[in-house]
Formats: sequence, C-alpha cells, structure tokens
Amino acid sequence: MDALKTLRDDPAFAFWFLADAAAVDYGVGNWFEVVYHLYSDRHPAWLRVRVKVDRSNPVTPSITSLWEGAMFHEREMYDMMGIVFEGNRDLRRIYMSPDYRSFPQRKDFLLPDDAADSPAAGNRPLERPETWDLTRLEDAAAHRDEPGGPV
Amino acid sequence: MTTTRKRPAPDKPAPKRAPRRKAAPEDEAALRAAAEGQPRIPDPLELDAAARGRRPEYYGFDIVPPPDRPPQTEREREVYTLGDGEMLVNMGPQHPSTHGVMRLVLKVRGEVVIDLDPVLGYLHRGIEKLCENATYTTVLTYVDPMDYMSAMHNEHAPALAFEKLYGIKAPRRAEYIRALVVELNRVFSHGLMMGFLALDLGGLTPILYSFINRDQVVDMLSAISGQRMLFNFFRVGGVNFDVNDEFLSRLGTWRAEVLDTIEMNEKLLTENEIFAARTKGMGTLTARQAIDLGVSGPNLRASGVAFDVRKAHPYPPYEELEFEVITQQGGDTYARYIQRIAELKQSIHLIDQIVDRMPHGPVQAQVPGIIRPKPGRAYAAVESPRGLYSVYAISDGGPNPYRFRMRDPSFISLQVMPKLMPGHLIADTMAIMASLDPIMGGVDK
Repeated sequence: MDALKTLRDDPAFAFWFLADAAAVDYGVGNWFEVVYHLYSDRHPAWLRVRVKVDRSNPVTPSITSLWEGAMFHEREMYDMMGIVFEGNRDLRRIYMSPDYRSFPQRKDFLLPDDAADSPAAGNRPLERPETWDLTRLEDAAAHRDEPGGPV
Repeated sequence: MTTTRKRPAPDKPAPKRAPRRKAAPEDEAALRAAAEGQPRIPDPLELDAAARGRRPEYYGFDIVPPPDRPPQTEREREVYTLGDGEMLVNMGPQHPSTHGVMRLVLKVRGEVVIDLDPVLGYLHRGIEKLCENATYTTVLTYVDPMDYMSAMHNEHAPALAFEKLYGIKAPRRAEYIRALVVELNRVFSHGLMMGFLALDLGGLTPILYSFINRDQVVDMLSAISGQRMLFNFFRVGGVNFDVNDEFLSRLGTWRAEVLDTIEMNEKLLTENEIFAARTKGMGTLTARQAIDLGVSGPNLRASGVAFDVRKAHPYPPYEELEFEVITQQGGDTYARYIQRIAELKQSIHLIDQIVDRMPHGPVQAQVPGIIRPKPGRAYAAVESPRGLYSVYAISDGGPNPYRFRMRDPSFISLQVMPKLMPGHLIADTMAIMASLDPIMGGVDK
C-alpha cells in the first residue's frame, strides 16, 4: 500500500488513475493475488502491481483511502474470492445475497452443471467436488416447508 | 391510484348498492345473502385497507424496513439507521427508470434524498466464471450480453487481450473494420443515452428519434455481422466478415441523414428551458472526485479531465486517425449530455476517416479454432461509450483462460451516486442516474 501511495503521489511516477483491481486464485495450496492496474500520463503506460495474499488467511490492506473508487473493486473481490480488505468500511457482498456463504470465483468452486465437460474445457484437478459448499442447499431443504421460505 | 380512493360525490345520485363500509350490519347480511352464489367482487376500499403500511403519496415505491439483521459494515449502519423524519424508500429493481434491474435504497426526508445505497446483483450471471470455462474463441460470444448497448466494445477488449497472449496481430483491414463497427456502436449508444435522459425527465419524443438512428445502425451492423444486437463479430486475429455491399449502402444512407436526426434531438433538448432547469447544476462531479472514484469515459471528461484511452494509450488504428479529446467544464448532468453529443459527432467524423482510409487485404489472421497461448498475462483496455473497459486475461497454457477479468466502466461509475444524489429530489435522482448512463448488464456481469 505504501508502494501504491508513492506511485500515486510521487511526481516522478504520477500514476493517478486506478484502472482496475482484480483478484486471481492460483489454486489450493498456493496463494491469491490482488492485481492493480494503474495509469500515468508521465510515461503513457499501464503499470501492473501484484500483491500476494495468503490463501489460508486472505487479509490485505484496503486502498480505499488512496482511491475511493476501489470500494466496488474490493467489494467484488470479497464477494467472489473471499479476500478481506482491512480498513474498507463497506466490505459487504455486492453481487450475491448477504446470506450466501461460498466464494464463487475461487478455483475450488466447481460449477454444479456440466459446463466444464465440453471437449475443449480442459480438466482441472483443482476443481474438486469435495470442496463444494453445499450448506446453502441444505439450509434451503430444511426451511422449505416454512411459510416464506425458499421454494 | 387516487381514483380508487374517491368516494362518490354527495350531489351525485347514490349508487344502487350502498358502499359496504357504510352499510349497517343487518343490511350487510342482506346484501351478502342477495349476492349468494355470485362471486364476490372485492371493494377497492377494503383492498386499500389491506395494503397496510403504505401511504398513497409514495405509490410506485415500496417503503422498506431496515434489514432484520445487524448491519455488517459501518457504511451499512450509516445508511440503514434512521434519524428523525427519515425513511427508507425502495426504488427498483423493477422500476422503469433504473435502466435495467438496479435497486436503490433511498434514505429520504420528505422528498429530499439524504443518502442512498445501490443494491446490485439482480442480473449477475457470473460471466467471468463462464469465460474461464470456455475456449478463447467462445469467450467472445459470452461477453456480448454484458454491456448490451456496446456489444462491439465488449468483444474488442478480449480480442485485443487474447491477441497479445497468443502473440499475433490482426491484419490492418481488420483493425479498420473493428474501429468502424466500434464507432458505429458508440454513435447509437450515445444517441440512446440522450433519448433516455429526456425520457427520465418526462419527454417522450427524443427517444423516438434516437431509435430511428439506432435502428439504422443496428440494421447496418446486422448486415455485416449477421446479428442485430449480440453481434459475435470479433475473432481472435481479426473479424468474422469483410464489409459487404449491403453494409456500405446502408452506411451511405445513414451517413446522409444522421446529422439531421441528431439535430432534431438537439433542437428539442439543448435549448429547452425545462431540460436546462432540470439538468444544469444537478449532480455536479468535480474533477478530483471523479478521479478519486474511478469514473472514466464521457463522465470523467465532462468534469474536465482529458482522459481517453483511444488517445492516452492508443490501440490500432486510432494512432493513425485524427481526433481530439473533448472535455467540458461543468461536471453536471447538462455537461455530461453535451459531452455525449460532442463525442457522437466526433465518432461520425472518425467513421468518415476510417471509410476513406480503409486499406485492402485480408480481415482475419490464420488462427486455429482452439488456441492454446503460452502461459502469461495480458491486459487490454478500450474506450467504450461508458468509459474504460478493460480485460485482464491469464493463460496457463490450456485452451481456456485461467483467469478472465473484466472491468466494466458503468459498475465503477455507480459509486458516485451516493456522492451526487444527497440534497436532490427523488425525481432528479433519475435524471442524474440517466446522465451517468449505467447499463445494468455490464454492472452485474
């Protein structure tokens, strides 16, 4: 984060525009990566800053104090990858409902349909069914008969 | 809505059946006996009483209770804690002026918005995950319905990123055809934005003129790509088809009349007193705020920041074309509208240049159907009608991208709404939102 602050405020760099912030999952046993893309007029180019995040304890400082616009990026990364940004004051799920428990873009989240079985899809050993989070489905089954419960 | 609540005026002859409410119990029983065997028609007044908790002045909106769980974050607590005389009003997700299925929870005092919380995800389809399970060629079909008003731009950035990954370049003629269709797409997107802005302010005509222009462009693009809205026209290493006679003839017809169509719209709106009163000074976004919040595209340039990806980091063929980065100084709804018109005319100017300078040659490089790029990373950004649209793709050497990330400009632009809306009336929030031009297909991915 200090590096990003220097890159933004130092007139020699002047990367004033945060173009993108994305999270990448390098698979079970490895790490997450938070990738920032910055833009500067000084040397018209994009700069890619990659931050390694521990997979078992995915916590990394928030950059919303530098660019407030990182808020939705970080909320999306939290929602999809489960990365916790310390110092973000609105770290809620943004796409999924608030009671959702899985992190769908992690590589160990297997799609429950057969989209991955197309001939060209490749076979990824990382997508293991035993890691699926099925608690949500079980909850739904338990509450099915209650009025107002899921149908 | 209020007509159902009206009671018969006293001077009018009384109806044959007295209103149910007024009837004495024995009369009520008699009436029920008389009506026995017939289906009972509910009294509108009873229905009204059944809709408890509703106040008629907010018909069309639902009053939402705060969520029945403790707030998860500081910000959520801030929005959902109600002070004296405040209440939460729900707008959307099925609301005609939310441009899709966006839901806004407005905190209002009277009719003035104090705070606002956008609730997203009603259109979330997981396109990034889908693309990670598709081959590089089929990814270009999945990204089309994302930002459905600029499908060509959606395909442009992945095509550029995959070409970088695979280490090929599209032929020059293909680059020009890409720029041509992309600019055509920008013209109809900006044109529709003008119409929708007027529509949200209560003017119906401009959207009709916009759709004349839009239908002409869409027919043209359908002539070149075979599809009307989700074009599926770009390929890794080129485009699917060369320009054909029908496309060129439609292009000529459209070019002859497009400026007139735009002028008709402009005459209706730009000098219109009501339009000016409801847009000038509304939702002013300063340059510093806009940069801080990651706003890009016409919304950023309307605040005076000259940042256009086509100029800042040009992708072919834009370095060979002549154009300027237009900016406005106002930063308000009106400036964003004027900015769209200026860019629209500039796009037409670019289209003229592209058609004049289009080189000859093939439109597609020799690329196999299933490509397996070497492991690596690629980032490609294009200027879509809503701003910086970028794709970050990681290859692991397999036939499908290991990670496929799309940065959608309207998703990021939505963050400014809690900054712009407070202090404005509920009716003006729609105009401000329309001037930001978010497309929910892109926001929710």
